[in-house]
Amino acid sequence: MRRLRRYGTLIGFAGIVAAFAVLLPDTFLTTRNLLNISQQVSMLAVVAFSMTLVMAMGDFDLSVGSMASLAGVTAAAMFQAGHPVPAGILAALAVGLAGGLLNGVLVAWVGILPFVATLGTLTMFSGAAFVVSDGRTIFGRDIPEPFAAFARGGVEVAGVTLPALTLAALGVFLVVWVLLEHTAFGRRLYAIGGNAEAARLAGVPVARLRIAAFGLTGLGAAAAGLMYASRVASANPTQGAGLMLDAIAAVFLGMTMSEEGEPRVHATLVGVLILAVLANGLTQLRVDSYIREILVGAIILAAVGAAGLGRILGR
Amino acid sequence: MTTGGFRAGNSAGAMLLAGLLALAAATPAAAEGRVTVVTPYLAQPGTQFYVDGFKAAAAEEGWEVNVIDTAGDIAAAVARIEDAVTQGVDAIVINVDPAQVEAGLAQAQAAGIPVVGMDAGMHPMLATNVTSNGYAMAVETATYIVNRIGGAGNVVMFVFDPFPPVQMRGVIADAIFANHPGITVIDRVTPDVQDGGIADSRAKMEAILAANPEPGSIAAVWAAWDQPALGALQAIEAAGRAGEGIVITGIDANPQARDAIAAGGNFEASVAQDFIGIGRTAAGAVARLLAGETIREPVIYVPTRLITAANVAE
Repeated sequence: MRRLRRYGTLIGFAGIVAAFAVLLPDTFLTTRNLLNISQQVSMLAVVAFSMTLVMAMGDFDLSVGSMASLAGVTAAAMFQAGHPVPAGILAALAVGLAGGLLNGVLVAWVGILPFVATLGTLTMFSGAAFVVSDGRTIFGRDIPEPFAAFARGGVEVAGVTLPALTLAALGVFLVVWVLLEHTAFGRRLYAIGGNAEAARLAGVPVARLRIAAFGLTGLGAAAAGLMYASRVASANPTQGAGLMLDAIAAVFLGMTMSEEGEPRVHATLVGVLILAVLANGLTQLRVDSYIREILVGAIILAAVGAAGLGRILGR
Repeated sequence: MTTGGFRAGNSAGAMLLAGLLALAAATPAAAEGRVTVVTPYLAQPGTQFYVDGFKAAAAEEGWEVNVIDTAGDIAAAVARIEDAVTQGVDAIVINVDPAQVEAGLAQAQAAGIPVVGMDAGMHPMLATNVTSNGYAMAVETATYIVNRIGGAGNVVMFVFDPFPPVQMRGVIADAIFANHPGITVIDRVTPDVQDGGIADSRAKMEAILAANPEPGSIAAVWAAWDQPALGALQAIEAAGRAGEGIVITGIDANPQARDAIAAGGNFEASVAQDFIGIGRTAAGAVARLLAGETIREPVIYVPTRLITAANVAE
């Protein structure tokens, strides 16, 4: 029974997939559509995977969406100024890392609650994105063709083209998975999440680890912002804004699958896929886009609520 | 350890299934034409009118229309275009810059599904784009001024050349004024638009009024959009020169401009786009494509309308 409780969300996910497969027999479970879904969700996935790092410590990063926007416009502004593609990408990632480390310092050294600290930097990064882009969408000839071509390209394996964005998201998944599940760094993040004070007394360098984790989350957000800019061949100072809440929702959906209620990155992957499959399938079923949003919110609440109830009843 | 967790976990799954099945039951059966409209901008008034016009025309055709608003998210617009392609709709209509959703357009093209732009911008992957003619809008107001001032007098122009859709309006007004030897363009101002354009246009107009103190020394103000026209109006009224008969025109006919025109002062005319007509014409383009026609023109223009005190209340 313990196992079934833990897999309730996974069963729900399988149910959703099965329902769509029945309702959309010709189009849902096709290779093309599944690859489309993987590509559509890749940006959210990268944000959610890196969000898992800070959530493992019981922290939050609300600034990831505006960091994604800032990274996108940073790269685009570099391109506009005539710099080559790699320089633009490096600059954007550097901004992401620096912004993330700033979050970490505010939380770990200054001692501001993560919610407040990252709410503050959310506003700062968003303002910076407007400054860098002059409030405009950077597009057209300012975006180099190779940069935009990345999101349209892929790697052909056995006659199927795996989208580059999907592979990028998988790469980030592997890095975060190894970090969290197979290194001392990851184990210590979970120790901090369990009891930060106990971890500190046990000799875990809590402050430094927190700063590092926030730095990596910022880096992930910047990578997602670059993927987004490539996907839409343009950069706009608000385009990443929607990523933050969905990323947190995905991690929470994943947490319902963990016995201890801990965020694990492979569970986050399931959370991300649930959101993506719902968006894709409900669109194909021609469900009104506003009703779709109500439905997705209700499903998140149902899953998290059911898991919480399960934990209470199971005690 | 009890079975509580199992019950709870399963109930979430059951709820999802029940919800999806209910939705499927509520979904109407496939009609003659299935058309998906994708826009990130449905919250904007103009877009709502396009969509209303499109839906009204689609209802007459008996099509099944699905309008998808991605609430400002461009990547989601790409994703939803891809989903519509997967779903195998008969046509897709977009109201978003085609260059930004090219990844989705490429899939539609590969699947042979026509995509029509509804004030989206010209693009080789669109069957056609339906919009207003920016050149024609400038013709309406520039000729209005020429006629009102009898082809003679000093004219102040407010332009904005860095933005192509506004730049093209200025080019036309330049040509029309130049065609009348009695008209002199005494200033061609590019206002600072950071604050929306009204305040700086007012300041610029105050300076021009100060430099031309003689009554009648300025016959008209032609503005490439409404905000500078409103700023010029404020400057003229504040300078106590509203009685000189200076004719002001704008373009876009926004609500503030309509109020000024209705008030019967110096701001006499502006040009309104026919948003509903753009939606209806986009549906007309879809109908032609569904009938197997190839649309030759990459842009279809919908006539605009000169707004004056005579018709502003309509």
